[in-house]
Amino acid sequence: MKSFSIKTESLKKSFNGTIALAGVSIDFSAGLLHGLIGSDGAGKTTMLRLLAGLLKPSAGGIRYDRNGVAAAFGELRPSLAYLPQAASLYPDLSVREHLEFFRELYRLDAAVYSKRSGELLEITRLDKFTDRRAGQLSGGMYKKLGLMCALLRSPSVLLLDEPTNGVDPISRRELWELLYGLAADKILIIVSTAYMDEAERCARIHLLDSGRLLASGEPRAVLKQTGAVNFEEIFIKKGAHK
Amino acid sequence: MNQFNIHRAYSIARKEVMHILRDPFTLALALGLPVMLVTFFGYAIDYEVKNIKLAVLDRDNGPAARRLKEIFPASGYFHLVDIAPGSGPVAMLDSGRASAALFIEPGFSRKIKGGGAVEAQFVLDGSDNSKAAALIGYLPGIRRAAQVRLTGSPAREPSSFAPALLPGASKKRGSAKLLFPPNNPAGPRQYYPAGAAPSAESEADPFSAETRFLYNPELNSRWFTIPGLAAIIIGLLAILLTALTVAREWENGSMELLLSTPVRPLEIMAGKLAPYGILVLAGVFFVYFVARLVFGVPFAGSHVLYLAACLLYITAALSQGLVISVITRQQQVAMQLGMITGLLPSMLLSGFIFPVESMPEFFQYLTMLLPPRWFMAAARGIILKGADLGELAVPFLALGLLSAGMLALALKKFKTDLE
Repeated sequence: MKSFSIKTESLKKSFNGTIALAGVSIDFSAGLLHGLIGSDGAGKTTMLRLLAGLLKPSAGGIRYDRNGVAAAFGELRPSLAYLPQAASLYPDLSVREHLEFFRELYRLDAAVYSKRSGELLEITRLDKFTDRRAGQLSGGMYKKLGLMCALLRSPSVLLLDEPTNGVDPISRRELWELLYGLAADKILIIVSTAYMDEAERCARIHLLDSGRLLASGEPRAVLKQTGAVNFEEIFIKKGAHK
Repeated sequence: MNQFNIHRAYSIARKEVMHILRDPFTLALALGLPVMLVTFFGYAIDYEVKNIKLAVLDRDNGPAARRLKEIFPASGYFHLVDIAPGSGPVAMLDSGRASAALFIEPGFSRKIKGGGAVEAQFVLDGSDNSKAAALIGYLPGIRRAAQVRLTGSPAREPSSFAPALLPGASKKRGSAKLLFPPNNPAGPRQYYPAGAAPSAESEADPFSAETRFLYNPELNSRWFTIPGLAAIIIGLLAILLTALTVAREWENGSMELLLSTPVRPLEIMAGKLAPYGILVLAGVFFVYFVARLVFGVPFAGSHVLYLAACLLYITAALSQGLVISVITRQQQVAMQLGMITGLLPSMLLSGFIFPVESMPEFFQYLTMLLPPRWFMAAARGIILKGADLGELAVPFLALGLLSAGMLALALKKFKTDLE
């Protein structure tokens, strides 16, 4: 089992003068479920895209470690799965066709694929909808399908950009249960969310506000450390838009 | 670590096929449009000038003059219009009610009967010079026909006069004299007006030259236009189809997901080229049947060679579409850019309408960068002349190089990140 951890060091990213991340250092320690918490425009998506190698840092760096030894991004890439925030599936392809397409891209064996897809369809409860096209799925089902495509090859690092955004409460709970199940495998999971109540579901949280890191650590420790009653309060007290 | 994998390219292709099959618009566009456009424009675009309105001023009113008048409409190119009361032939030309006028002087029939030489004046509207040039081209034939009908002697005189286009007062008019030598083969030369040198082709000279057109003996302009039209439409279609594909992935958001998978740009490109290549090739077959069956275009050369030329040309056009798609990342912009770059240069600079040889030097070099120019040359060479690969080495080489260059450019511009 490959165990990866990621560290960002004064990571900066700006787009045409707009600063998205203003020097953020976060330790995404191995085998845990990390939450990247922040409101819209906090820099969550930029952070995840940088971690996924889809953007290049303007300054600062990202360190990838495998089993405690520094590794190049290229070594991590084959076992990295990333679910973008925006719609990224093909509306005219069905659930089954998506899974088969990604299976081919990942070059999975038939046996591995049938076991894995069976499991995923069962836990996402999409097994009754395999013929439904992605364009006709509900918001929650759509996110689950995206997640399934990312999970199909049993990644060691999973980056999920707002997987619960716009999803009804029941489906949100289901998605989180799915993530708990994955976290039990001790893989590195980084989830971004704007829902403060989801912070408590993570093993580690990193509060981002306007491209700056407000706090980092275990959820309760963070509350204690800042003396806040809840996470909203931290943003209100320490955030840029007070 | 991650080399080109044919299976991944195949999976992209398979996905693309599913998109195509589920999008009736694309499918109809790819299969129906080329046939429709080739048929439509094949009928509409005709370099032959027909139905020319001819006003005749007959001051002779004799039997020979009547016969001469009949020859024009009988050629299929002219029809006679009446001169409006109170108007003359020139006024008819000025007002656009006629494009050409014929003056027959008194004594025309009498002179013919007496075995003398006669002349009639032909005036034409030079404001549309392509039309005027076509009209002048008809004159020798008319003259030969008139020679036979009026004098009974076989036409031995090829086109031996060059009518000049003279600028008129209000618009350009050209004038030509139709000379009819007498029914007396002994001395036709004396009847040429002073200044118009008797040509070497006349019967008395030892040399006789006659124009014969090879490959397209009747100068059927459709034989010429349809292969060119097919080239333009097939090229445009190929560009438009691929211009949308990569841009669609970006707009759809699926590119972000694809880029996080092990798939390589070259695999994505190959996977997108293959299905659309086949689709366009199907279009080529349909167009081929329309050209052969509907327009009766002959096929003198090798079908295999033509197919090879098509494949090279389609690859170049598809790659051009990919370059557009990869750079714009937006379907609408890609569509517009594809339309402009796919249609205008291939229409105007490929030699489809205007011969490349008569362009300014700069443009002659510029057209070398355009795949349609080379395909146009290859297609016409194969279809009409039956040219072989040796004769078409330059167009084939150029098409190959342009395809490879375009593919390399698309690959170079293909972004593997979201910057």
